[in-house]
Amino acid sequence: MEQMTEFFENLRYMTFSSDRFWRIILIVMAVILCYQLLKRFAPRAVAPVSGFLSRHPLIWICIPAALLIYFVYVSLGWNLWVSVSDWQAGDLEASYGWGGFGNYARMFSSDSFWPTLKNTLLLFSLIPLCLLLGLGLALLMDQGLRGTAVFRTLILLPFALSFVVTGTVWAYMYRPTGGVLNSFLSMLGVDVSAAMKHGSLMWASSNRTIMPSIIIAMVWQFSGYVAVIFLAAIKNVPTNIINAAKLDGAYMPRIYLKLIIPQLKGAMGSCITILAMYALRSFDFIVSLVGYTTSSAWTLPIWMYNEAFQSNNFAYSAAISCFLLALVLVLILPLTYWTNRRT
Amino acid sequence: MQHHVNSIERSKDGQQAQALRIRPRWRMPVLKTVYYLLMVLFLVFYMLPFWGTVVTSFKTNSEVMTSTPITPPSRWTLEGYASAMEELGLPLMTSLLITLFGAAGSVFLGSVCAYALSKWRFKLNNVFFIALVAATYLPFQAILIPLLQNINALDLYDNVWGLVMVHSIFGMPMCTVMMRGYYADVPDALIKQAMIDGNGMWRIYRKIVLPNTKIATITVFVFQCTSIWNEMLFALVLGGYDSKPATIALNELAGTMAAEFNVQMAGSLILALPVLVLYIFMGKYLISGQMSGAVTAS
Repeated sequence: MEQMTEFFENLRYMTFSSDRFWRIILIVMAVILCYQLLKRFAPRAVAPVSGFLSRHPLIWICIPAALLIYFVYVSLGWNLWVSVSDWQAGDLEASYGWGGFGNYARMFSSDSFWPTLKNTLLLFSLIPLCLLLGLGLALLMDQGLRGTAVFRTLILLPFALSFVVTGTVWAYMYRPTGGVLNSFLSMLGVDVSAAMKHGSLMWASSNRTIMPSIIIAMVWQFSGYVAVIFLAAIKNVPTNIINAAKLDGAYMPRIYLKLIIPQLKGAMGSCITILAMYALRSFDFIVSLVGYTTSSAWTLPIWMYNEAFQSNNFAYSAAISCFLLALVLVLILPLTYWTNRRT
Repeated sequence: MQHHVNSIERSKDGQQAQALRIRPRWRMPVLKTVYYLLMVLFLVFYMLPFWGTVVTSFKTNSEVMTSTPITPPSRWTLEGYASAMEELGLPLMTSLLITLFGAAGSVFLGSVCAYALSKWRFKLNNVFFIALVAATYLPFQAILIPLLQNINALDLYDNVWGLVMVHSIFGMPMCTVMMRGYYADVPDALIKQAMIDGNGMWRIYRKIVLPNTKIATITVFVFQCTSIWNEMLFALVLGGYDSKPATIALNELAGTMAAEFNVQMAGSLILALPVLVLYIFMGKYLISGQMSGAVTAS
């Protein structure tokens, strides 16, 4: 109850404190209201406007289009400009004079650049792992075993979770002593404490295994999803073809290899693009699994966040994010081209 | 499958029947056992984190310290949930508000775009669509600094309405791409008929397209709800204390209560529960929606 009242108090405060936003909203609402009233009671007065609107109904598309262009494309350009501006490090106040390419030079010569880039690219190994595991699971689910429906629902569940939840849960999984994974291993008979003395089985606590641990957790989250998509694609393969192949004396493994898997290319392409997107947005996940400050797990987004919002080097972090964007373009564009070519 | 094989086997000559014996009879049970074993192994892999989380969340803090995390609690308590709710109660309500309004906003914007893109030809149709699809792959870090400046200029820093606005705008591309596939299924003849009857473009949208795609709209809305509910980056950058959604609160909880794993796990479960329920009941539709989006996009 207390929280309820606090919530509504907060909401009231937040709703009525920001003048500018609400002034804009009020003006827009007033214009719409006036227009509607005039149209109702004095259609002559607004005839040119309403005529124009009914002749060009697509004018309404301009609103989402303008939002998209401003908040995505203009912002991208703005960010690019920030990266070459003379916005001083540590300054909260923006300044947009020409500052040269110093930020880029600093970024490429920085000690954290290559490890961070390596981690970012390493995260993409998530894609083949997920695809392989997903394919295996899909083939397993295609065998017509009992309980497949339940199995499918269960392996899809990790995909529903927030990255924050996954991060928190896997941080607990990966605890060297008293973590779920190591307790499970010791229950299976692995001598965990001896292994830990040699520095293995430390999971996310050791610099050497931190990236594989992150990738395993992400595979856990996404492979079920890939499997469900593959299963749907397998079910779409016409049974006629399969029966024909059987008539020709093909064994089931051969049918899978030669007939069914080649038909999964479309599903595979869209899985790859979706997984690549998630791999690039893995910021939340790594932050909640190991925190911002663990530099051995830094990827470009985390580095950028740290520079911008922990140490206020906005121009520098803009340079990093521009590099990230270039990386996305280089990686995603051929991918989309590849999937495009198929269909 | 067996049925098919038998029916053909019975039908024609012996040569085919020979070919159709897929694998020796004795191998079937063995294979089945192997498959079931594999299934159980995978289930252990997928369910182990859930098991550890659920079991730990019902323990008392002292039991978490003394017992292994995979044994069930000796006494089931809700202590962890009570302390987690103390921290998460307010942020959960904030999250709910942001999720509902943000998803509604993005679905509204997206459905308008999708309608225009799928049912009306105009000059920049393709350009607009490609711009939208490209925006779905946008790494948000690349627009974070300008976005912060914009939000500050609008006086919306640390304000739920700012987050609602941001989620509506950045959810729009995904919604459009998803809904465009559904709207393409509305027969063109229906729309032509309505046009002949003298209805305007937006009247057709309200009276024909929306009522015919109710389920699609709900699917996209739910999908958008789950992704906004799970989102953290925008809330971290644009929200401060007052507009803290549950994801941030959980992350802070994991920081401040580093030793109290029962509270952490209870918080994780509370945050995950609504989305899990949605995915258990609607998982198939949500995924096929996202896939149809990805397929039309590529």
